[in-house]
Amino acid sequence: MAKFKLFSEESNRSPLSRLWKKFKANHPALVGLWIFIALTLLALFAPLISPYSINQQHANALLLPPSWHDAGDVRFILGTDDLGRDILSRLMNGATFTFGLSIIAALITTALGVIIGSLAGMSKGIRSSFFNHLLDITLSIPSLLLAIIIIAILGPGLLNTVWAIILALLPQYVHSIRNLVVEELSKDYISAFRLDGASKWKILVRGVFPNIYEHIVVIFTMALSTAILDIAALGFLKLGAQPPTTEWGAILAENLGLIYLAPWTVGLPGVLLFIAVLSTNLVGDGLRQVLKDRKAD
Amino acid sequence: MREYLFRRISLLLFMLLTLTAFTFSLNYLFPGDVLTNLSGQVNSSYAQSQVLADKYQLEENIIVQYGAFLGRIVDGDWGYSLSSGQPVFEHILLLFPATIELCVYALVVAIIFGIPSGVIAAVFHKRWPDRVINSLTLMGFSIPIFWLALLLIMVFCLGLGLFPMSGRIGLLYEIEPYSHFILVDIIAQGFPYGGLAFIDALKHLALPTIVLAMYPTTVLIRFTRDSMLNVLEQNYIKTARAKGLNRRQLILHHALRNALLPVIKQIGLQFSTLLTLAMITEVIFSWPGVGRWLIESIYQRDYPAIQGGLLAVSVFVIFANMFAEFSHTVLNPISRNQAHGKI
Amino acid sequence: MRILLLGTLCTLLLGCIDEPNAKLNENNQGLVYCAEANPMTFNPQVTTTGSTIDLIANQLYDRLISIDPDTAEFKPELAEAWGVSDDGTTITFYLRKGVQFHHTDYFTPSRKMTADDVVFSFDRLFNVYNPYHFVGDATYPYFQSVGVDQLIQEIVKVDEHTVQFKLFNAESSFLSNLATDFAVITSKEYADILAAAEKKSQFDTKPIGTGPYKYKQYLRDNLVRYHKNESYWKHPVAMSQLVFDITTNNTSRIAKMLTKECDITAHPSASQLAVLSKRADITVDKAENLNIGYWAFNTEKEPFDNSLVRKALAHSVDFNKILQAVFYGNGQIAKSYLPPASWAFAEQESMPTYNPTLARKYLDMAGYEEGFEMTIWAMPVSRIYNPNARKMAELIQSDLKQIGVTAKIVEYEWNTFIERIGKHEHDSVLLGWVADTPDPDNFFSPLLSCTATFSDKNPANWCNPEFDLLLTKALDTTDIEERKAFYAQAQAMIIDQLPLVPIAHGMRFQASSKEVKGIDLKPFGGISLANARKQ
Repeated sequence: MAKFKLFSEESNRSPLSRLWKKFKANHPALVGLWIFIALTLLALFAPLISPYSINQQHANALLLPPSWHDAGDVRFILGTDDLGRDILSRLMNGATFTFGLSIIAALITTALGVIIGSLAGMSKGIRSSFFNHLLDITLSIPSLLLAIIIIAILGPGLLNTVWAIILALLPQYVHSIRNLVVEELSKDYISAFRLDGASKWKILVRGVFPNIYEHIVVIFTMALSTAILDIAALGFLKLGAQPPTTEWGAILAENLGLIYLAPWTVGLPGVLLFIAVLSTNLVGDGLRQVLKDRKAD
Repeated sequence: MREYLFRRISLLLFMLLTLTAFTFSLNYLFPGDVLTNLSGQVNSSYAQSQVLADKYQLEENIIVQYGAFLGRIVDGDWGYSLSSGQPVFEHILLLFPATIELCVYALVVAIIFGIPSGVIAAVFHKRWPDRVINSLTLMGFSIPIFWLALLLIMVFCLGLGLFPMSGRIGLLYEIEPYSHFILVDIIAQGFPYGGLAFIDALKHLALPTIVLAMYPTTVLIRFTRDSMLNVLEQNYIKTARAKGLNRRQLILHHALRNALLPVIKQIGLQFSTLLTLAMITEVIFSWPGVGRWLIESIYQRDYPAIQGGLLAVSVFVIFANMFAEFSHTVLNPISRNQAHGKI
Repeated sequence: MRILLLGTLCTLLLGCIDEPNAKLNENNQGLVYCAEANPMTFNPQVTTTGSTIDLIANQLYDRLISIDPDTAEFKPELAEAWGVSDDGTTITFYLRKGVQFHHTDYFTPSRKMTADDVVFSFDRLFNVYNPYHFVGDATYPYFQSVGVDQLIQEIVKVDEHTVQFKLFNAESSFLSNLATDFAVITSKEYADILAAAEKKSQFDTKPIGTGPYKYKQYLRDNLVRYHKNESYWKHPVAMSQLVFDITTNNTSRIAKMLTKECDITAHPSASQLAVLSKRADITVDKAENLNIGYWAFNTEKEPFDNSLVRKALAHSVDFNKILQAVFYGNGQIAKSYLPPASWAFAEQESMPTYNPTLARKYLDMAGYEEGFEMTIWAMPVSRIYNPNARKMAELIQSDLKQIGVTAKIVEYEWNTFIERIGKHEHDSVLLGWVADTPDPDNFFSPLLSCTATFSDKNPANWCNPEFDLLLTKALDTTDIEERKAFYAQAQAMIIDQLPLVPIAHGMRFQASSKEVKGIDLKPFGGISLANARKQ
């Protein structure tokens, strides 16, 4: 029995708006998206809106707890560390490093993955094998170990760890994107394109990409969450960001000695990391779910 | 099948060769004197450096040097650690079992908790068990491992005093190291100290294993759930249901086996991440394994140690991957017919 | 059904386990001490690093004489009595009889300690024909920097239990130097056996001594294990096992105290003392200590060879703020190079004060108006004289920025750090010194003399012949007032030349479980666990 329709017009919305509608219905994912956007804005504008500079030491306000405690001070909403630096400002600036740099790393990884993955997907035979397995060697080296080696070669520092993370994440995404491309290429409309006489490049740009870019966005979110965790882990091990860079993992490592005196200095960066990764995962999961539902429709 | 094996083994050799070539190139890429990086001897006198230059064939071209390098690797001469002066190979033999022990137990925990949870989540799709497991998994997936470790230490070690926070066993217990796997050694010695040593070792294992198992468990849950959901939509499942099989029979006899196949392959792919997380866990819990040693080595710029560790860990991951793939192929009739090794 | 099976299995397994026997009676079984660094050797003669000495000196070895921490008098140890000739150049020691060396699984002594062992132990230090002199780089830092090779003419074995030291000239600190933790007696028999087996390097890595504990096992970055010496000559040893848990991270050491994984912890960081004191089952001991924490400049490197630059740097840092932030009030700001507790202390009027304008003026006078770049090397371990060098370096770094000097902080693993400082790779370093004896020369000769520079022990790389002359003159006389005058001049010279800036003197802290007794802190030297016992 056909569904009863009150109005005779058909719903003919574009795939993108259907996606958005479904996504909005998934409340946790929507919350994730808001947090994600908030963090991105924070990462961009932190130096402008943070109350104090990251290195400003207040000698008379050492180790203040957050302002909701009795001993806290409203001037320093999240308290101060043992050198009297405002934690809120440091964490806000940390968003630029941890979150901002992770976005850049994830973007570069995705971009490179698209290039190499498409090449691998479009080529056949030995060349395909070559592109496919080119980066497999880095699949067998744990990403932390790879980061250690790159740091041993280049020296510690935030930028070098970004390279290490990109290199460590690349193989998986090359494989995923290659699989996506291959799957699209086997579809009928691509054959139609080819029969029409489209060049390889046109097939890729006009045929394949418009149909896989949403999946690429999902891949991007996955890469992003891994990148955030990796940058923070390397900062925590003091291999990545060096003080006084206020990357969240590095702040956590710096304040570890204060864990009994001032547990909030260790707890707060961790909470922020958790929220950042959680929001990214919520968005990624939501998107993936929505894509699956849309395909099922 | 033979063609598949042939392709797989040639891929294995290719990866090992690339790995050793990469490790060899590190001698030139790392800062410092090439001879020091190769051998681990500093400040050798002129006569000594001549002998070493001969041994490492520094005069010849790169290919010969690489050949000499491969020969040494096979012999077991992996250079000397710059910070301790001991052979790198000895360090690795001593420390690697501790890491493997931790990884294996974490993996076992992940499998025991992860796969059933994934199955339950798939079976009760869109109902409350699924939602609960999903949310917990998402949170477990998102928590930074070092923060989780710190939280657990604060609560269980310092707050409740239930578990110790570092090492493999209480230092006053003297256990003879045979296999360097602590539980095996204790059992081999017949439970000395009246079994207290065994219980102590278990207590020391508890928190690091839980911390390390968190990520693989969440990955396994999600993967098993996805795989199971995929299988449950297949036609043969609908046929079986139409035939009249009850739920339990359906899942256990038909769905599970097919759903678990890709999961086995996924476990293999997890090894690399598992080792990364193991390195961080070892540092936080002062677990005397190869991960902590590698991180110490980078602090001390001990390049021969880093190279040796890289070789050992990567070879382990490659073989673990291969093993998982072989198991997958052996168990899965479909992929046996595939000629190309595909990931 | 399956649960029943599992349960039976478990109970059967438990039955296989022996009854817990007296093997692990907690009280006298063993002591765990949280140490802050790996020991770099097991022979105290070849090092002066405090973290190594703490682990080995008083635990594995004995000396001829020691100094009573309360009365500052010499007490007999392996020497029952001694006599000094009138001109002070011949010193005779009458050795104790019946002292046994360690019985271990790698060495069994066939005889007790005799004069041969004493002669060998000291002969090795300066006699280039001694077969062991060049073992292990031939560095005997303490003895070389106090110039013992120029002092001892010969060591004579008079009979089985009498040894005579013949000196070129009398030196008032000689007996004090023999009472330090470095002047231990080692076994000649062991040395001969190893030399015959061509394994001489084992002498310093698998030690044999006469001390209360004997060596069992060393796992790098993990632990050092000692067993009790059943035939210890002095008194019965209470602990059957002594384990050093090597934990470089300060916070982890504190945590291990709180979780009772360690019974004693060395150098608890100043910020954590409050946490430890609150616990009823932990005692925090505090003692006055003879030490100095300083900021030394590599005076052979530009621009630190210019005393104006050093003066500028000294005046640009607010050390009072550092005292609060790093020592948490548990230290005294330095009013001279020597601590006030030393009898030769002379308060200096012209100690550098915090004055950035003056600092800038000095810099301009020296020709560095735009400032310059420099490195500050900060120790990774917590010491008595500097609980947190890293933080101190960060505070100095931000103070230096105000006068236009950009500082980079450099850190290495502790033993590597000491090595590299010895090679003078640094521009400046935050370091310090804990006294080994109450004799004030101990602060000067091993550290700031020219011989110290030549034996790579001088962090300021400073050699001033006038300064050395003062030290020699102070050693030539035994009159206290005369020595005081010379040392006052020496201290004034340090403040005037500023090869290093004295920062503060720290208190010595130790946190231990309430049941542990017999581990009193001394104002000088390394710790001794000989009398440790658990109630």
